[in-house]
Amino acid sequence: MDKVFQIQNQARNNVKELQTYMTDLQNWEAEMKRKEAALNGAFEQDLPPVRSKIKKEKPVVPKKKPEQKIKGSDYSAWDKYDVDKACEDIDMEDVGPTSLDGKKSQQAKLEKLKEEAQYEKERGNTFVKQEKWDEAISCYNRAIELVKDDAIYYANRGLCYLKKDSLHQAESDCSEALRLDPTYVKALQRRATARERLGSLRAASHDLNEVLKLEPHNTAARKQLEAIKTRMGTKGAKSKSSPVTTPTPENKPIVKPKMQPKIVELPSEPAVAGQLIADDWRTGVGENIMVIKPVKKPPHLRSKRPLKSIPIQEVLLGEKTPEKPPTRLKIVDIEDNLSQGDSNNNDSNKKDIHGKIDACGEGEKKVASPESVKLVSEAIITEKIKNFVPPINSVQFMSEWKYMKGQWDAMAEYWSLIEPSKIPSIFANALESSVVSDVIQVLHSRRDKFRGRTAYLAGIANVPRFSALAMFLSHTDKQMLTTLLEDCKQSENCTDEVIADLKNKYEL
Amino acid sequence: MEEYDGLDTPQVITHIEHNINHSIFDCKWIPCSAKFVVIGSLPKGTGTLEVYEITSGEIRKIKEIERPNSFKCGTFGASSDIERRLATGDFKGTLEIWDLEKSCQMYITKEHTDIINSIDGMGGNVNNCGAPEIVTGSRDGTVKVWDPRQRGKPVANMQPVKGETKRDCWAVSFGNSFNDAERIVVAGYDNGDLKMFDLRTMSLRWECNLKNGVCSTEFDRKDIPMNKLVATTLEGKFHVFDVRTQNPTKGFAQVLNNDAKSGTIWVARHVPQNRDIFVTCAGNGQVSLWKYEYPEHRYHVDHQGVSSGVPGKLKRLQRMVVSSQPINAWEWNRDHLGLAVATAYDQCVRVLITTKLNLQ
Repeated sequence: MDKVFQIQNQARNNVKELQTYMTDLQNWEAEMKRKEAALNGAFEQDLPPVRSKIKKEKPVVPKKKPEQKIKGSDYSAWDKYDVDKACEDIDMEDVGPTSLDGKKSQQAKLEKLKEEAQYEKERGNTFVKQEKWDEAISCYNRAIELVKDDAIYYANRGLCYLKKDSLHQAESDCSEALRLDPTYVKALQRRATARERLGSLRAASHDLNEVLKLEPHNTAARKQLEAIKTRMGTKGAKSKSSPVTTPTPENKPIVKPKMQPKIVELPSEPAVAGQLIADDWRTGVGENIMVIKPVKKPPHLRSKRPLKSIPIQEVLLGEKTPEKPPTRLKIVDIEDNLSQGDSNNNDSNKKDIHGKIDACGEGEKKVASPESVKLVSEAIITEKIKNFVPPINSVQFMSEWKYMKGQWDAMAEYWSLIEPSKIPSIFANALESSVVSDVIQVLHSRRDKFRGRTAYLAGIANVPRFSALAMFLSHTDKQMLTTLLEDCKQSENCTDEVIADLKNKYEL
Repeated sequence: MEEYDGLDTPQVITHIEHNINHSIFDCKWIPCSAKFVVIGSLPKGTGTLEVYEITSGEIRKIKEIERPNSFKCGTFGASSDIERRLATGDFKGTLEIWDLEKSCQMYITKEHTDIINSIDGMGGNVNNCGAPEIVTGSRDGTVKVWDPRQRGKPVANMQPVKGETKRDCWAVSFGNSFNDAERIVVAGYDNGDLKMFDLRTMSLRWECNLKNGVCSTEFDRKDIPMNKLVATTLEGKFHVFDVRTQNPTKGFAQVLNNDAKSGTIWVARHVPQNRDIFVTCAGNGQVSLWKYEYPEHRYHVDHQGVSSGVPGKLKRLQRMVVSSQPINAWEWNRDHLGLAVATAYDQCVRVLITTKLNLQ
């Protein structure tokens, strides 16, 4: 009887074991597929030389050596002996020729490591959310192993240690994070908490002061600081925390944290001071632009919200907008010349159109501010409109349209040149939603310039795949359209059917 | 089963069994993936490489390559985990290195004049363990070592002296590659010869005769100073050598296991996560799981100051018949303890799992 029970128990145990193994196996499968996906690209290794090649080199070495040996008594030879060169030779021997070519894919390797570290960090963050501190710590450990110079990993691990009451470890992690990024507010706060609980109140208050310097409105830090001050009690009276609460106007660093306030959420690299000059254009160093960096997130972590379109403005590389506002005088200057390419908006197109514009204005170019040039170009455009020809295709249209932005009269003038029935053939598949909404506005606001606005609307609606464009129309566009159609109905005596058809097409 | 009632006895279970309608000779996990490649030949004599992927308990063929000559064996050992190039040997003696992603050969050479029975690779995915090299053993009696960076010619060639009869080399494997210089090749022949070549000194380090043809050899680890070596033979025997201590006269200490009923032991493979556990696959379709138990002292020094090894003991942890025909290849998965793929002469490829290996 006992035996039967034992066998049953054993069988049950085996089944259970097998089940856990199976779930493990599924995890492994998923893990492997992820790993595999991460594995593409070049790979290089420092490898020892091919065996048969070593053999050939070997016999050469013993021959050479006796040659180089100089007898102790041969003083003249010693005089000629180049010590530096000999040292160099020895150094080179260590390095060897093979290790030199390993550098090519360094960048790619780094990139891969970063990605892997990022993945570990994400896993760590989810563990943190579940309050599984030990698991989270091991994730961050791996991340740190992969990428040693990211403040975030240290700060996050510091948080876990803090939660586990390993205060000394927490403090040293936060210190490391701050060494990498001295403006990392969260690390400062965490270190302050760790120090406070360790009893080093002065150091904690010092950290909090730093926090408040960086983020003057950080209420949590302020409260904590006050608590520490009361704890310091009688001693606190002489505490050095003087410039804490009121940030003085010369507190310049405020700007910095504003640029990157959400350092934990973004996987961007830490602020490294020493950037290569060649990479300046990438990071936008010395230019008044904001660089949008690619955010690498695994698909399941990405935002589910629809993408937002950002209008892209072309800017010449290396060109700076002047810091001082332009003076009147300069505008006049330019108007005289009539020859400036816009320093901010792409001037290559403009140069094409205005044959007159050439390189003679090169010198003043740097002085010209966007505003001043805008004034000039507006003047030019209205002049030029008379020379406009109706576009034959969308490329032609876009090249003209591009620099009419915001000048509604010019736009209306240009559109009035276009034969409504030809709209579908001109644009074919290349009509952009931004153009559609601009046109709607033009038709709405400059009604007197057009004959038969319904025809235009119908023409646009007949563009191939218009239904997709209609989806991009904003609320204001639609409002404008409704009033426009009402207006058309009255002024152009359109039938109800036509209007209803258009309403249908524009999805009103 | 009745003798292994302990709660921590590993179980060997066939997780997936998949019939392939032609002969298969070898199977290898593709590193860092849930895929493996099956090497075989079609009845008309052409060779196939088939890539299978495991997806939620099922395997699916995702690629097939067919070549005029039957393939016999393959290895990923000389390739990095990123490139993952498969080196194959075929019935005509051709060594090829494949990029399976692009389905093309990166390297092709025919220096052997007869079938390549066995292949092993080393140095691709570990750092500071020497150059990437492939060793091939062929029926033409030679053992050749290749470096994928050197086209056409082997970097080392071990062949019988002129006049000697050429023995059919059935098994080769690398070992002792714990730094950039050291490396050893072990070759087993059809007459029972087992030879150990030192690639650093280019010399024969040790040899012995096991009386039966040597079907498979493997070091417990390739990238450490050599520790143990398993050699399996015909007629159900296999030998485990403790190769840490070499006595100038007696050679290495060994344990012999003899189970004539099971037929030829086709292959022995060590668990990558535990070097003292290995599996042997026998001609009757039985797999056995073994654990090598070290003696209290692994060597003793005699009165002349010469040390000799002391053999340990073998403990069978489990045995299980999984196939009706001989199992000719087995490979453990590097990334998942207890997961293995095996091919057999019943034209089935199996994914097997072994539980409780972590408790051993």
